[in-house]
Amino acid sequence: MSDKGMSKAQDIYLNRSQRAKELKAAGKKIIGYPCVYVPVEMLTALDLVPYRTYGDIKEPVTETDRALPTSFCSIMRTCLDCALKGKDDFLDGMVTAHSCDPQEKTSRVWESYAAYPYFQYIDMPTTVRPEAIEYFKSQLNDFRKTLEAFTGKKLIADKLKSAIEAHNQQRTLVQQLYQLTKPAPPLISGTELVQVVKALMSLPVAEGNELLSQVIDEVKSRTDGPKKKAARLLIWSSTLGDTGIMQLFESKANVVMDETCGGIRAYRGSVKPTADPLDGLADYYLKEITCARTFRQADLGEIRKDYAKDIKSRFGYLKGIVKEWKINGAVLLLVRYCDPFAFEMPSLKDYLDSIGIPSTYIEYDYNLGALAPLKTRAEAFIETIS
Amino acid sequence: MVTGEKKKVINRLKSMHPLRAKVNETYLKSIEAINAGKPAAWAMLNFYYGDPIMKAMDVEVVYPENYGAVAAALGVAQQYLEQAYADGFPTHLCGYSLAGIGYTSKMMREFKGEVPPESPFGGMPKPLFLLSSSAICDARYKWFQALGRYMDVPVWQLESSSPGVNELLIEGASKAMVNMGVKHLKDFVVFLEGILGKKMDWARLEETVDLMLEINRVWYEVNDLRQAKPCPMHSRDFWSAMPAALFMAGDLKDSLQLYRNMYQEVKDRVNDHIGAIPEEKYRLLFAELPPWHSLGFFDKLAERGWNFVIESFGYHPPIPLDLSRISDPLERITRFNLQFFVGYAEDARQKNVPGRSFAYPYIKFATEWKCDGAMLHPLISCRSASTHLPYVANTLIENLKVPSLTIEGDIVDLRLFNPEDALAKAEPFEETMEHYKRVRKQEGFDW
Repeated sequence: MSDKGMSKAQDIYLNRSQRAKELKAAGKKIIGYPCVYVPVEMLTALDLVPYRTYGDIKEPVTETDRALPTSFCSIMRTCLDCALKGKDDFLDGMVTAHSCDPQEKTSRVWESYAAYPYFQYIDMPTTVRPEAIEYFKSQLNDFRKTLEAFTGKKLIADKLKSAIEAHNQQRTLVQQLYQLTKPAPPLISGTELVQVVKALMSLPVAEGNELLSQVIDEVKSRTDGPKKKAARLLIWSSTLGDTGIMQLFESKANVVMDETCGGIRAYRGSVKPTADPLDGLADYYLKEITCARTFRQADLGEIRKDYAKDIKSRFGYLKGIVKEWKINGAVLLLVRYCDPFAFEMPSLKDYLDSIGIPSTYIEYDYNLGALAPLKTRAEAFIETIS
Repeated sequence: MVTGEKKKVINRLKSMHPLRAKVNETYLKSIEAINAGKPAAWAMLNFYYGDPIMKAMDVEVVYPENYGAVAAALGVAQQYLEQAYADGFPTHLCGYSLAGIGYTSKMMREFKGEVPPESPFGGMPKPLFLLSSSAICDARYKWFQALGRYMDVPVWQLESSSPGVNELLIEGASKAMVNMGVKHLKDFVVFLEGILGKKMDWARLEETVDLMLEINRVWYEVNDLRQAKPCPMHSRDFWSAMPAALFMAGDLKDSLQLYRNMYQEVKDRVNDHIGAIPEEKYRLLFAELPPWHSLGFFDKLAERGWNFVIESFGYHPPIPLDLSRISDPLERITRFNLQFFVGYAEDARQKNVPGRSFAYPYIKFATEWKCDGAMLHPLISCRSASTHLPYVANTLIENLKVPSLTIEGDIVDLRLFNPEDALAKAEPFEETMEHYKRVRKQEGFDW
């Protein structure tokens, strides 16, 4: 395949920080963030380059042991480990969010041990109640103030609106990319999707959009796409940032949807235009991202509970995906010690059972050595549904 | 060794016993009342936020976190854990939550909504609603959400803020947190009125809030007295006495009198130079939940002259706050709850300890209570109570030259705490404490 967009994405995936370092050398400031709940639009609007930190699944975690327990979210552990080893030294700052307890706790340690010129922690409510959204907006406003102090520039509403448009365009393009997994065989593999999304999260939004447009054009006309496999899978997880995980499944199946924070989760919706752009951002980030950390209900403040309605309100969006992408099996992939996702597993299985989709639950530590033993389990599941 | 009744080494406070008895009695009365048809909630520990409102609305409250600890201590938790595993919940989740989920599964599926017969303390009858909490950890709301699999009981998720030290001090940040809290509690009242079918008695709420503030002020002062040398009150008395304030157990006027009695007893001991142990050689800070099932362990350490003089801030009352000028009881509740979480923040910022309130109070406590060492008790299945401990240990040694001894354990799996192994570490740690005593002296510390 002579797809310069795709091969460029693969190059960036393999050497993620290179472009960020070039931009830094050219005078740009690079701001890290470990979670899709950080409103990157606000960074872009101030000409800062958002850079998603994933840690390094291939790197043994050693330095973090002096700061965090071993029985703790392995994604946060590897993120902090990279910081403590100086691998993220090109970053000018870090923004974290209270999207989960491990990130909140790690933020405090991170802030203390890694001396970034800029550090901001954004508190996030857990519900989507009106007062919670209002509070979250105030947190974004505080974020604005600290960014302005750091950059010495005002965050002008028009610039923020333009940044929102650019990031919305990226969301639309990613959605278009995922449309290309609908055919059988899909035109792009799950492994390639991980590469593209990870590349996007390493680039300024305009460069990412250009890359995406190239990738989409090339993939649409490619003739050497993935082979048709017996199963079409949905992977549901928290962060999925390495092709090694995807390849566990793709030797025997086509992964046509990765509902993860390294996949479409950050791109499914779009920020609505609002007079005060912070309103649109608060609404989108708190309500639209479908992470297990958010407490959702069939009816806000309900005084009666109906479990069928409850799980529909939490997972109902998957029904349309399953139908449109002709998915015939789901992998519930848990990074060990990730409580928000772990608590969700039995209820998600209940929901998938209710719509007739077989599923399997697989748990792993976020390191490469932990993957090999999972291959047999992955293949056994694929055989049962094929 | 001479046989016969051995004298207890820790000189327990007489005033602790009625407080402890009151907590047990309150629980049993609650269960009786619920069985007789009184509305009941299962609630997460909510740090003076939802409790005063439920109390004013006459809701009986049981705390499944506590029940998990009781079930573990009495050796009946294992069956609940196994039930939760069998239902598909991962084994590494919070031990309390797994015990609670397994218990609920058994109650609803095996016993058709009735309390399982083997349940200690009368079990936890099916509630009218669940009160989860966004504070402290994710398990404290995801657990109750997960119970929807077993019982169609509505959940109210208590929303609270969790700011960082520097972020809290941005202009307007505190006001935004108070605004959210007050609006949220108003909606909580509406929820309660809907589910209970009656209106809030605002006069009763005001009285409840007044008593809550006063109980915690007295309780705070009791603990302040423990700075005295020798320390007059051991951690074991703290843990026995804390639930009455922390969970607002039973009649609050009674509680207030009992805490006042405790204050007087502790003050008398300070005046008379009476310590909680016969010979105080080392003053220690204890971090996080104690091994409830092995509290006798502290008697062995007391024999060696170890006096535990202060504990985790998470179970201590907030720093007293003058809220007399605020007329809205919901705002007073919100501000008091926030004080629990952020009361140490300004001090932490000034001393440049960004570890938020979860780390800074240990610096303050070790300094003001003049601790020679800290015993840290990370819990394998309670990450929230363990995550910060390496940071705390580093901060104590770097800033104050106070060493830490880490003893691993768990809140539910009793096998993970080995008292013999822990005791074997005592002697070498004494040498460490002696060493750092000398270091502190050389570096100009005053203890």
